Formats: sequence, structure tokens, C-alpha cells
Amino acid sequence: MRIVLDRERCEGHGLCEEAAPDLMHLDDDGELVLDREEVSDDDPAAAARANGAVRVCPVAALRIA
Amino acid sequence: MTDSTPPVSDIDLFDDAVTVDPWPTYAALRELAPVVYLPANDTYVLTRYEGIRNALLDWETFSSVNAIGFNPMVNEALTGTSLASDPPVHTQLRATLTENLSPRALRGLKATIDTKADALVEQLVNKGSFEAMDALARALPLEVVADLIGFTGDARDNMLRWGQAAMQVIGPMNQRTAENFPIAGELYGWCSNVTAEDLQPGSVGRGIFDAEARGDIPPHTAGHIIHQYLGAGVDSTIASIGNIIALFAAHPDQLALVREDPSLVPAAFNEVLRYWPPLHVWGRRATKDVEVEGLRIPAEAHVGILFGAGNHDPRHYDDPEAFLVERNPVDHLAFGYGPHGCAGQGLARLEAHAVIDALARRVERLVVGPEVRIPTNITRSIEQLPVLEVVPA
Repeated sequence: MRIVLDRERCEGHGLCEEAAPDLMHLDDDGELVLDREEVSDDDPAAAARANGAVRVCPVAALRIA
Repeated sequence: MTDSTPPVSDIDLFDDAVTVDPWPTYAALRELAPVVYLPANDTYVLTRYEGIRNALLDWETFSSVNAIGFNPMVNEALTGTSLASDPPVHTQLRATLTENLSPRALRGLKATIDTKADALVEQLVNKGSFEAMDALARALPLEVVADLIGFTGDARDNMLRWGQAAMQVIGPMNQRTAENFPIAGELYGWCSNVTAEDLQPGSVGRGIFDAEARGDIPPHTAGHIIHQYLGAGVDSTIASIGNIIALFAAHPDQLALVREDPSLVPAAFNEVLRYWPPLHVWGRRATKDVEVEGLRIPAEAHVGILFGAGNHDPRHYDDPEAFLVERNPVDHLAFGYGPHGCAGQGLARLEAHAVIDALARRVERLVVGPEVRIPTNITRSIEQLPVLEVVPA
């Protein structure tokens, strides 16, 4: 699975980072950086965190492709 | 052939008794069907979690244009704002609105807001008894937003009534709406005439005028942005902070959990918003015939989003009538969702987290008298909440 960010929509609420700190973080300017875009289906824990990050984004700026 | 016509109910969402205690109505509508037509309000209400969340995301089917409010005058007045537009126009308006309101823009404010909230709570704990809406729920957001926008003088005194009126007029053309239109008009008039010099140097409001002067945002938009900060951000935040105080007073065991584990502060705010969302109902308009869980909404129909009904849907939340801070319902509907998700939620979180954190550190238990509620169209807020005794931590 792949995490896709709609950068125009992202406002830096940062709730995704709390849900999946190993996959993404806000940089010093508050811009979201995807540290891992590809998440292996063999890593169900990481996949669950990726789905959690998508779920929690209040402006729906993240999706799974 | 399956009948896809939604059931009809004679419920009036804006009946005084319903606005004061909407919970039995929400439950009845939710159990009746995921979509119910209300002739009294000429609106198709969405009553269940999934239908609401999907509609909030699907702006192409559920448009915000000419749709947010329940009377034509307010929809006309909101035309051209980010609130009442769809992408792609919405995208630019929203970016302008949130430039100074996004969490990244607000990071520098956290320490100031924490200090203000803690000082207020400390003073009230020492006092021992107080009216919590005026002394805390209204005091903090009014101070925070006034300082943010850089208000001085008259405007500062008017913020509360202007903010309340801006929400009331979103309802149908009932007496509350009629009485509040002149007050909402005062706010609109002030925002149309305000200049940079009226706002404190260094404030965000002054910064918006600087951006307009630099050409970073279109001419004549600064006043409108300030209008939206005030119209949308005051009344709803006051309601939420009042709800925090009332719910922790009613559930001392849940306050104890936050006291033991302060990392629960954000989860506790999510649960307050899920349990008692500050907004009663918000509008959309169907751009085409659409089926929600098999029930058809006709093109051009007005659609009402019942945040509280969705937030208490047992299909989505186990034991939804229980107030449980450890539940951490991150996907609650109180801020909306998707492109129109509350633009001020970052600021609301800063204020609410500061209040919960201060209460959890300084208070073991609040003894309160009966809360007073009055009928209102859109914002669902406690009017008065007497705190009779504070058991300090």
C-alpha cells in the first residue's frame, strides 16, 4: 500500500504524526513530510498505523492508494 | 421494487424543546432511517455516522453553495465565503483564511494560551464558587480571539453578542433569527469598515491587512477574513469550554483519569466534542439525485447534517451514551470533516487543551448546580453553569 498526501489540502494539524510517527512527521516549518510512502502488506502493524493516520486527518488530505 | 423514498417525520429541529435537549430526537431520527425528510424544515437530515462522514467528504454531491443556512437571507449573505463555496474557488479562499489560523501558524501561541488558561483556573479555584460560563468558558476565548485579531475598545465588548448572532442567523427564519439579523449586521458592518489602524500592531488581524497591502491576498478580503474568525470561532469555542467544565463536573471519575495520566488531555477533548458537539445542525445541498444507504435525496434538496446524531450512533461507537475519556474518538464529527473541516480547530484545541490541563492539575472535583440552557438555533451551549464548590487538587 502507498500513502498519498494532498499537499494543497494539508494544513499541518499533525494528528497523522501522532497516529503514525514512524511514517510521517511535521518539519520545522509545520509542513508534513512522508518518511515512508510505501508500506508493505507484510507489516500489518505499520499498515494499521497508516490507515489510522488517514482516518484521523481532519481535512482528508491523506489517502491510501 | 424497493421503495427508496426516505421516511418523513413531523419533527421540527428548531423547536425550543428540541434545541435545548435534542438527544431523544436524534435517537428517534437515527433509528427511523439514515435519511429522514423533515417538512417543517424542508430538509433531508442525515442521522447516522457513515452517511454524515461520507457526505462531508463528498463536496461534489453535497455542495456548500447556497446551502449552509436554513434561510435564504443568510445563504445570500454567506455567498463568496469559503464556508459557502466548493472547490476550486473554495481551495483558494480556505488557504487565505487558514494562513494565520493553521496549527503551524499558531504554534507560537501555545505558551501564551496555556498561561492565560492556568491563571484563570487558578484564580477561580481560589475563589471557590463562580458562574463558570462567564468566568471561564467566555472569558478565555474572548481574550484569546481579541488578542489574536488585535481588537480594542468597542469591538472587544461586542465580540460575544456578535459571535452569538452570527450563529443564530444560520437557523430558519424564526424569531431568534429575526432578532439576531440586526446584530449580525453590526458585525458585518464593522468588518466592512475596519482598517489596519483599528487593530493592535503585531496582531494576526493586523498581519492580514499587511498581507492585503502586499497583494498576497485579494483586495477587500481582510475584513471578510476577520468576520469569519469572529463569526465562527467565538460562540462554538465558548460552548466547547463550557461543555468541558460541565462534563468533568458530572464525571469526576473521568477527571481523575486525566489527573493520573495528563497525556489523556487531547483524548478527553475529543470525547467532549463527540459527546456534546457545539453545533446542532449544518446545511448542504444535493447537486444531483443521490442515494444514502439506499434512500434517495432528490437533486437541489437541502440536506441537514446532524453532528450529534452521528456522534452517538451505536453503529460506530460502542456504548455511545457513556462519557469515556479513554475512548479517544479521533474521528468524531464535531469539527465536520474533509475540505470544509473546521478551519479554527487548531486554535480550539489549544484553548480546550489548556483548560483541561489546568483543571486536571488544580481540581479534584467540581460541585455544580443545575446548568441553565436557553433555545438557540445552531450553537448548542450552556447559558449558565454555577460552580458551588471546588475541591482543589
